[in-house]
Amino acid sequence: MLGVALCAAGAIFAPLSYFILGSVPLTAVGMSAVIIGFTCIALANTRPYISPQACELMLKTGMENTAALLEELGLRSKAIYLPSTMRNGHPQALIPLVEDREIQLVKSKISGRLIVRYGVNPDDMAIAVTTPGSMNVDMLETKPGPTSGEIAAAATYLLTGVLDIADSVTVNLADARVDVEVSGSKLHYEDIWYYRCLGSPIASIVAAISSEALGKPIRIREESYSKGKSRITLEVLS
Amino acid sequence: MRIYNKYIVSLALASGLINTLLALLGQNDLGIYFIINVIAYLVITLLYAYFNPRARRALNTVGGVLFAGFVVIIVLKAMEIL
Repeated sequence: MLGVALCAAGAIFAPLSYFILGSVPLTAVGMSAVIIGFTCIALANTRPYISPQACELMLKTGMENTAALLEELGLRSKAIYLPSTMRNGHPQALIPLVEDREIQLVKSKISGRLIVRYGVNPDDMAIAVTTPGSMNVDMLETKPGPTSGEIAAAATYLLTGVLDIADSVTVNLADARVDVEVSGSKLHYEDIWYYRCLGSPIASIVAAISSEALGKPIRIREESYSKGKSRITLEVLS
Repeated sequence: MRIYNKYIVSLALASGLINTLLALLGQNDLGIYFIINVIAYLVITLLYAYFNPRARRALNTVGGVLFAGFVVIIVLKAMEIL
């Protein structure tokens, strides 16, 4: 609507200014209005096919189902985000069945089943689930490199450009820790079972990107929200 | 503010500023106004690198049309000089 209005106004105003008023600056204003109008029309045509309400419905359905599974099994452990190289080419998250145990992941690929063995001990069992982060990593055009700049660029591309759920992302990488600050996030952390295990959707996306970039398993250590900023601390597992 | 709104506001502010400055400098060539507006459009579009692929494709199409106009004006100016 705005695009069409700007185009029409510019297309009428520019010839009027040039031929009747004889003013080049006013003609340029009309010309600029046409350019901005076409830009608005181009952007309006790139809106997603599925409405935001439908997307929210599908996200909530998936989250409710996973939350029901976690609650039924009584799982409270924090999820471990695995890179695609450890999980048949598709990044996923593991939720260990036993809490507070030293994580010693097997060196080989973890099988593509729901209930998997992740460690060297016989009872190192976990359930493997697909998270919002797992799905979003596939949207990246190239795999990010293992630097904080590349992780921040990939996270900004997904959260700001593709999903439009945050304003900016900063990443600090130090030893086995990744500190992420997301400004203007629209999906905050809530104290619910699903988020306690798998993190908020934003933390999940950042964890999946970091895991893919570093090629190592990652766990969301801490997540908080204050003054419009989400602060996420990730732990890099070896 | 959403990234798309920021982009449109940036374009509107840049074109407004360019047209005002050129008018104050007494510029009376419409080609110059068009060329500088197109350059500003291309630079601002390049700075907003985080758009989704569909939006980027659409903006590249608009940019391509504007660039074609830019080249036509440059060729006409070159022919005038020669």
